[in-house]
Amino acid sequence: MPTSKRETRKIKGGYFWKILWVDLDQGEAKTLEFDDAFALKYIGGRGFGAKLVWDQLQKGAIDPLGPENILVISPGPLGGLYLPASGKTSFISISPETGIYGDSNMGGSFGAELRQAGLDAVAITGKARTLSYLWIDNGNVKIIPSERLKGKGSLETEGMIKEDLKDEHIKVATIGVAGENQVRFACVTSDWGRNSGRTGIGAVMGSKNLKAVALRGSKDLPVFDLPRLRRASEAAFQTLRASKNFPFWQEQGLMSVIDYVNEAGVMPTFNFKEGVFEHAKKVNGYEMLSKYKIGDTSCFACPMACGNVCLVKEGRYRGTVVEGPEYETACMLGSNVGVQNFAAILKGNQLCDELGIDTITAGNLIGVLMEAQETGLLSEKDLDGLSYKWGSEEVILETIQRIAHRKGIGNVLAEGSLGVIKQWPQLRPIISQVKGLEQSAYDARIAISMALGYATSDIGAHHARAWTIAKELEMGMDWSLEKKANLVIYHQTLRPLFDMLGVCRLPWIELGFDENQYAEFYSAVTGVETTLTELLERSMLLYDLTRAISIKMGVARKDDYPPDRVFNLPMTEGPHAGKVLKREEYEEILDIYYAKRGWTKEGLVDEKKLTAFNDPLMGT
Amino acid sequence: MSWKLAVVPERCSGCKICELVCSIQRFGVNNPKKSAIRVMVVYPHPIIRMPIVCRQCKVAKCMENCPTGAIIQKDGIYDIDAEKCISCQQCVISCPFGAIFLHDEMETPFKCNLCNGTPHCVDACPKNALLFLPEHVLGQAQRMASVLKYGHMKEVEYVEKGERKVRRYADIEKGNAED
Repeated sequence: MPTSKRETRKIKGGYFWKILWVDLDQGEAKTLEFDDAFALKYIGGRGFGAKLVWDQLQKGAIDPLGPENILVISPGPLGGLYLPASGKTSFISISPETGIYGDSNMGGSFGAELRQAGLDAVAITGKARTLSYLWIDNGNVKIIPSERLKGKGSLETEGMIKEDLKDEHIKVATIGVAGENQVRFACVTSDWGRNSGRTGIGAVMGSKNLKAVALRGSKDLPVFDLPRLRRASEAAFQTLRASKNFPFWQEQGLMSVIDYVNEAGVMPTFNFKEGVFEHAKKVNGYEMLSKYKIGDTSCFACPMACGNVCLVKEGRYRGTVVEGPEYETACMLGSNVGVQNFAAILKGNQLCDELGIDTITAGNLIGVLMEAQETGLLSEKDLDGLSYKWGSEEVILETIQRIAHRKGIGNVLAEGSLGVIKQWPQLRPIISQVKGLEQSAYDARIAISMALGYATSDIGAHHARAWTIAKELEMGMDWSLEKKANLVIYHQTLRPLFDMLGVCRLPWIELGFDENQYAEFYSAVTGVETTLTELLERSMLLYDLTRAISIKMGVARKDDYPPDRVFNLPMTEGPHAGKVLKREEYEEILDIYYAKRGWTKEGLVDEKKLTAFNDPLMGT
Repeated sequence: MSWKLAVVPERCSGCKICELVCSIQRFGVNNPKKSAIRVMVVYPHPIIRMPIVCRQCKVAKCMENCPTGAIIQKDGIYDIDAEKCISCQQCVISCPFGAIFLHDEMETPFKCNLCNGTPHCVDACPKNALLFLPEHVLGQAQRMASVLKYGHMKEVEYVEKGERKVRRYADIEKGNAED
């Protein structure tokens, strides 16, 4: 598809042609319309979000926690439809955690409900005078002041708003105390525990005095050829259900990854120092199944049901219930901080959900403190007199509370890794982060493609953009750098495409569902015949756009390096003991990567390319 | 012989695929709010996901309470006759299960009619939380569970065609009133 010329094909379904624009300063809402060319180019989800953030940036500089920051909530044209896992919705903004482009997405049903409300996206700017929530009832908007929600937990707030509005079926996305206190890694929670976890979107809401967004939608979703969609979807559901791993997947969900990463020697252990956790069996999926799991949960239209509901039935954490843990949480609040008690992980997970904190960042930073105490990088006074010993459950739970309430050492951690480094520069070498976003739970030391994936992910060190570690381990280390760079770019193009369409990536990455089918879904829904290649081109283009946003904030080659540990700290145990990545080799793969993306050696995007992003929502 | 649509809440994961299929099959639209089956997710008091759908009661409260005789019954399947219905919503509030639904774009309430004999939600459920069974089979799961739970199971391992298998049986010797 030519990107310079405006597209002329007509879309016949998939969109309501409405973006709701809420200005909390004025207490007003209006509707923005967009045309076919805009929809074809940006598709939806994070595509719409990045474009609206870009447009907002043209008006002037953005302080992530200032009223000028924009928060876009956007599912995608496949969101809410009868096809596998169509419940994803993206939250896009300038991240308070990294200061650059940020987004994260949640499952559950929030996105599907937003679409049924007759909207393609919601954009929010400004700041409400008092703590309020947004009530969108089939497209009609009210900003409802609600001081009584102040200090309430995320799940508690969801319940209170459902009670307020007298409807159990509505969907509510909320922030907890951490979001209100603008903790820079506060998350947004919906459906009793589905989180938009990363990049501090909850803090953006908090800075806007926006406690929650509640939705009711009952409209038919626009589909051009419903019988065709149904045929494609029914075949897709059958394929997934016939997959060999399907029953196992429903049983354990992402918890099944623990045994795999531990055997592969890449399980984050003791602040990413090691890749093998001696007690992995005590925090794995079988431990969960045998003692804690009481139910499955699914996101909207997903047969995989990867969510686990767990309950602690005995011991000191008795009564703790949480939707989780998911792999990342089990590692970051488990092996990474030396915890071998599954019930303590559940308690930590529940606390993070209720207070509204990203579990990945929390576990990462607490691990840093533990190592800092062990090596003497921080004094007892620095550490509030708490004893940060590996595996100390009380201290971990107490720290989570202090972060949310910004008390003592929690107030330092609440600023995220960039704030921690400012306060204690000596910690820089032991914090695993890229661009200020803390690394998620896959080691990168032995897989250069994974390191490149973290380093060039547009939001920072998160695995959602490129998760290439399994493929690289499977292919062996002798694979050429060029092939590895290609693999990273393919992931960074396909995975964000799922976020543009409003669907989950797990059917593809976990059950091997054919990604070409998404072109068939898109064609059936929009009436525009397309191919996966064409959709990928648009996603590829969008990566230039999110990069361009961050370049405006000063991002360049210097920011595209994996955490230091990857180069200078070999593991002492496991199949990869003694290995680290070579800096020269990394420089080489980064050059290859830039060349393939068409970026300069400094990692910049050609100015001429950027003019293509200045197009209007409606053509003339 | 009449067939029943039975729900196993313990298996439901709340994915709403049943709602999607229902709205497409019944009304030709992708709209879970127009489905005749509705998944309720209650959390955390108690923690449960449960699809609500008409049980085709033999003594049908909806029928008894309808002032215009709009609830019609054929072969044990109840439906609403849109010609006779005045949309007073008496059936909606008299159903003990809340299994009759309203939508503001619909003239009349709607309920499950078992897709006139082959309910599409049953096959679509990825968790087998929906079952379509001959009436006399209902309760079988509970009966089997009782049997399996019953007393002191013992097992014997044996090999058949090279494959290791287990035979379970009740232990008569322990089958006394100790517990």
